[in-house]
Amino acid sequence: MKVTKGLITAAGEPHRRIPLQTLVDSEGVTRTVLAMLVNEIIGSGIEQVCVVVPPGEEAEYAKAAEGFGDSLHFLPQDGHPGYAQAILRADDFLGQEPFVHLVSDHVYVRGSEGNLVKRLVEIASTEGCCVSAVQPTHESSIGRFGVVGGKPLAGHHFVYSIDTVIEKPTPTVAEESLVVSGLRAGYYLAFFGMHVFTPELLTILNRQCANSPSGSTSVSQALAEIARQSRYLAAQSDGRRYDLGPKYGLLRSQLALTLNGKDREELLAGLVDLLAAHPVSNGRQSGE
Amino acid sequence: MSRLVGLITAAGEALRDEPLSRFCSGATAEDLFTECGALDAFQNASSNLYERVRAQFFLSAIYRYYLPPLLETAQGGVIPHDGIHYLLERRFEEAIRSFQQALSSDGASESLATALAAAYHGLGFQTLADQVRRSVRLVSGNRWMFRMGHPLDHPLTLHEELLKPSAGAYPTLAESTPVRMDLSHSGWSDIFFLGMDYPQGARVLNVSIDLSVRDRAGDRSPRPPIQTYLRVIDEPVLRLVSVDLKAQADLTCIDDVFDFGRDHLGLLKAAVIASGLIPAGLEACGLPLAPLLATITGKKGHGLELVSSVNEIPRGSRLAVSTNLLASLIALCMRATKQVSALTGGLEEKERRLIAARAILGEWLGGSGGGWQDSGGVWPGIKLIEGCTAKEGDPEFGISRGTLLPRHRVFDRDEISDSARRKLQDSLVLVHGGMAQDVGPILEMVTERYLLRSEREWQSRQQAQRVLDEILGAFRAGDIERLGGLTHANFAGPIRDIVPWAGNHYTDLLIDAVRQRFGARFWGFWMLGGMAGGGMGFVFDPAAKAEALTALGEIMLTTKRRLETALPFGMDPVVYDFAINERGTHAELLRGGDALLPPAYYTLRLPPLVRQPLSALTQGQRSDLALFGEATRTRPAMAPLAAVLLDHLLPHDQPKESSDQEGSLPQLLSSLSFDKVQHETVRAALLHGRVGLAHNSLPSAWRYEDVTPGEIVDARRPMPASAQTVGEEALRSGAVAVLTLAGGAGSRWTGGAGVVKAINPFIHINGAWRSFLEIQLARSARSMARYASSVPHVVTTSYLTHGPIREALNDTANYGYPGPLYLSEGRSVGLRLVPMVRDLRFLWEQTPQQALDEQKQKVRDSVRAALAQWATAAGEGSDYRDNLPSQCLHPVGHWYEFPNMLLNGVLGRLLAENPRVRYIQLLNVDTLGANLDAGLLGAHILSGSALSVEVMSRAVDDRGGGLSKVNGRIRLVEGLALPDESIEYRLSYYNSGTMWMDVDQILSVFGLSRNTIGDSARVTQAVRETAARVPTYITIKDVKKRWGHGQEDIFPVSQYEKIWGDMTALPDLSSQFMIVPRKRGQQLKQVAQLDSWLRDGSAAYVEALCRWA
Repeated sequence: MKVTKGLITAAGEPHRRIPLQTLVDSEGVTRTVLAMLVNEIIGSGIEQVCVVVPPGEEAEYAKAAEGFGDSLHFLPQDGHPGYAQAILRADDFLGQEPFVHLVSDHVYVRGSEGNLVKRLVEIASTEGCCVSAVQPTHESSIGRFGVVGGKPLAGHHFVYSIDTVIEKPTPTVAEESLVVSGLRAGYYLAFFGMHVFTPELLTILNRQCANSPSGSTSVSQALAEIARQSRYLAAQSDGRRYDLGPKYGLLRSQLALTLNGKDREELLAGLVDLLAAHPVSNGRQSGE
Repeated sequence: MSRLVGLITAAGEALRDEPLSRFCSGATAEDLFTECGALDAFQNASSNLYERVRAQFFLSAIYRYYLPPLLETAQGGVIPHDGIHYLLERRFEEAIRSFQQALSSDGASESLATALAAAYHGLGFQTLADQVRRSVRLVSGNRWMFRMGHPLDHPLTLHEELLKPSAGAYPTLAESTPVRMDLSHSGWSDIFFLGMDYPQGARVLNVSIDLSVRDRAGDRSPRPPIQTYLRVIDEPVLRLVSVDLKAQADLTCIDDVFDFGRDHLGLLKAAVIASGLIPAGLEACGLPLAPLLATITGKKGHGLELVSSVNEIPRGSRLAVSTNLLASLIALCMRATKQVSALTGGLEEKERRLIAARAILGEWLGGSGGGWQDSGGVWPGIKLIEGCTAKEGDPEFGISRGTLLPRHRVFDRDEISDSARRKLQDSLVLVHGGMAQDVGPILEMVTERYLLRSEREWQSRQQAQRVLDEILGAFRAGDIERLGGLTHANFAGPIRDIVPWAGNHYTDLLIDAVRQRFGARFWGFWMLGGMAGGGMGFVFDPAAKAEALTALGEIMLTTKRRLETALPFGMDPVVYDFAINERGTHAELLRGGDALLPPAYYTLRLPPLVRQPLSALTQGQRSDLALFGEATRTRPAMAPLAAVLLDHLLPHDQPKESSDQEGSLPQLLSSLSFDKVQHETVRAALLHGRVGLAHNSLPSAWRYEDVTPGEIVDARRPMPASAQTVGEEALRSGAVAVLTLAGGAGSRWTGGAGVVKAINPFIHINGAWRSFLEIQLARSARSMARYASSVPHVVTTSYLTHGPIREALNDTANYGYPGPLYLSEGRSVGLRLVPMVRDLRFLWEQTPQQALDEQKQKVRDSVRAALAQWATAAGEGSDYRDNLPSQCLHPVGHWYEFPNMLLNGVLGRLLAENPRVRYIQLLNVDTLGANLDAGLLGAHILSGSALSVEVMSRAVDDRGGGLSKVNGRIRLVEGLALPDESIEYRLSYYNSGTMWMDVDQILSVFGLSRNTIGDSARVTQAVRETAARVPTYITIKDVKKRWGHGQEDIFPVSQYEKIWGDMTALPDLSSQFMIVPRKRGQQLKQVAQLDSWLRDGSAAYVEALCRWA
């Protein structure tokens, strides 16, 4: 199986402006979030990337990801809203080929494996199946992610065979269905926002939409079906993903990128200065 | 290898299920000690939980039942105090080591055997409880709640639908849940310990039902009796409201949620924790609730309100109301926090199981404990609930044979037809008999007997399983007449064979009365739940049901009236209407004008709101008022509430206590020669700290020594022939009378319920239920027959017991007693006082107290904190008047019982009518084995003493003093008079309460004689002077206050008393002391003693002493 295409969904509410935000990446280069994501995909050897954007904002997004030439395509999500519909919007672009998929409201700090997209593509190519990046996530946070249950794949390090996928589970549900051996108690494998999908996903999404009275479906449901019917793997990363959406999400992400990059010392010095100017009050006056 | 260890570890069932008794009966003490050594080593080493527990129960039974008879005359050492201390602290292994050390160093004794029995018994139940607790925590879906230690990690958020306001108010999520009744529980096979060790035998046929109480205003057709509600409120609190208990609280701190005993909202708190809303891991974090509530609701300044209602179904219904209420609240909270998929409607099987597991967790948190099938109301219709064998992957695998959670198989209409279901409804009359009893001791007995495989009970257990299959067969066939016959046979057979105490005199009378009235139209009795007297069923020919519904109410009420002074009733009986519930627990989302809470909620919550200016109310509170106003205008059912609310708002005159009303407290006090001066003296001394629990003790500088064998008479061996002859002669000549003390309220017997213990029909002997008094008289009757003489029998009474005892004797012609019988009415009475907090603290902190299981102890600590607050709020040292008048009074101690005979002239009459009487045997009504023994009487006569006191070797539970040499004089010392608790355990002998008195010598101590006892002025003076010579003790007793529908609260109250045993300290009174066997001296103080009393042969011993009319 050869993977040559990539898909970024960026039209979803309520954080649709997030990919346009500018951050300084680990190399010290100022880029938009979108440019960072495209860079990650192209760097893994993918040739063509499609970005699904809000209608009428194609030019703005194109400007935010300049410098990738003809590799980049923008499609407005002008039909039904929703995550699944955003993927289906790229049906024609993707054809019947496997593809890399990234969500646009996260940035990624690489772990020891280097380019994680590249690792996913390698596993998918070898095993001939869908592969999602996952990260052990504490039960207090799993209510924000899709979470997978499964078991370690024999002969592979940190690769799991997925049995089930549940979107935003409670710890109660997670404990019943999503416990994976080898993880610390209270930790579950949550999606990292990075996947390689086969065309089977589009087939299922199309079918589920057709069968749904509202004409919509959820990606998690489709992934759960893939997990039931086909081989579906998860690759654990020791990199970190940072959600840009929550309060201070952007600031945290920036700090994480810089603390893992060449400007680390400069940032730490700045932080020390800030802390000195605004000491933590524990009953004593500054300067005492 | 030890034979008993081999039996426990046997692979084959035949050997494994062999009863312990088969080996132990006939074994020598040496054999038994050898087996005990092997069993102890085995229970220490075994990794298999149930094998270990079984060994512990074997050890307990051997030390309790099989060794003591072989050690009766052994001169072994006393029970070491440190061992007792460990026992009270629930440090059972250390207690066992301490007792074993004493056994090796001092030799075996009956006392040490009872101590070891108690320690192994405690260890066995502790091991089992720990395992259930571990299993509950390990059920998947429950574990995360124990890991979560900080509110910042809280993972749950509220369902979006609950956050969409409509007409200014948030919607209300309402859950309706049925209760459950068991067609059969196969001999209490649903106890966790049984289900987990013997899953193949754990089977319950369980039906979900809707209910309504007949003839209660406002009640209509049956409906799910449990209604629970959850909604978002615009106040940053967790509001808990129980409309039935009229209790509400706004919790603002996380720790408040874990404070179970503070109010009547413990069950709601347990549900909040068990549902994960406030996970168990947050206990004692000390943080405020508001930020956590803001996280859960996603709205700052907002909170949650949880409301429960059980449609006034009374407590003790045996329909698992509390477990299903817990499950309902848990389901509600889990729906609201998206832990189950459906916000409204029914539940999936997986979710029902999860809720059942959480309900078990909640029961454990709240310190209660139901069976694993009690949350059956969560499921629909009729189901068979069965134990499951633990498989690999289950947390119980390798630990116990069965899993914690059972399997539910709901029967469809093909298996049990609509017609059969309808027929059951047409035939069954469900009732609550009015008795509300603690079923806990029954469940402990069942567990113990199962583990010992007691032969008869084990066979009954097998039979109970066959009966379940037959009941199911009859139900499938729609043969309800047969079904009724089978439930009746189940009660009369296996259930009462396993635990005789599951039935009682009341139930038997009801069954007889129903049978008499309905004849063949009565198809059978049906015991619901753990024991009879509360929830019960009667199965009738459908044609008779309408008549039966009315008749049963009348029969129960008449029978209750007859027995209510003798048995602990919590309320008047009620009859229910019921229907099978076919949908299980079910939820709906109420919005706008439909988001109404139960009517009683508004009478509880609205009055304080209405008194505030509108501007001070939150938007939500204003919406509540508007909603309520609209409902009273537009909904006929709500209209009367406006008047009720108005009634709550308008001022009322305080009800005045009418002093002339018969039975009122002032009237009782004046009729009972209440000594107001004495009362005020005691109160003043109490308030000034001159008397109190800490002041009861004798000086610590005195010497308190144990007596040596040569200093007392050992009457455990046959008495000398000379004594026997003298005693027989006295009995033949009519020189002996019996004085039975029956004036006490027997507060330990019924936990302060105020029942007259003397006439409590507590045991079924020789074809009938017998009371303590009847046994006393039957014993005297036998002596009369044996010695062909007359034995005058005096029964002392008090304000509480006189009327009921007199009536019982009249109704039964003195229970057929052929001799002279006198009632000595005690007129001395005290008025109970609200205790001083320092006395409560002394009682709880300075006196030895039995520690409870970890969670129960937390609840108890919380209750005690609340009681100390109550004492302060009610006024320390003030009169205790907030109860029934009879519960506010107290007898002033049994020292007054003999003087009362002087004051009321009974002794004068007795001696005038029976001039030969020279000796009186004085004993408590609950000492059943102390007959008129010629040898003991002879020893008393020959000693020439004024008093001969019967003592016995101390058993581990004998607390409250003993026989001591105080500064060289041998006397009885009360436990509360000992300056140091450890002294008590150095005393080998315990007062049995039975004494032989030389009438003339005792009179002379009072300064009286046969000739002067008719002089009332002189008698009064003599009693007053002698009373001044014996100490007065301040004590704290528990009294029950009943309220609502079968609810009970227990309050500690202060009272004072004088004790007859202190007469042995008077220098001018000569005493001797005789050691008697335990079977003779044993007093029955608590219902929990009954089972071992029956099993250790004491009951048979007593029966042999009696001659029934």
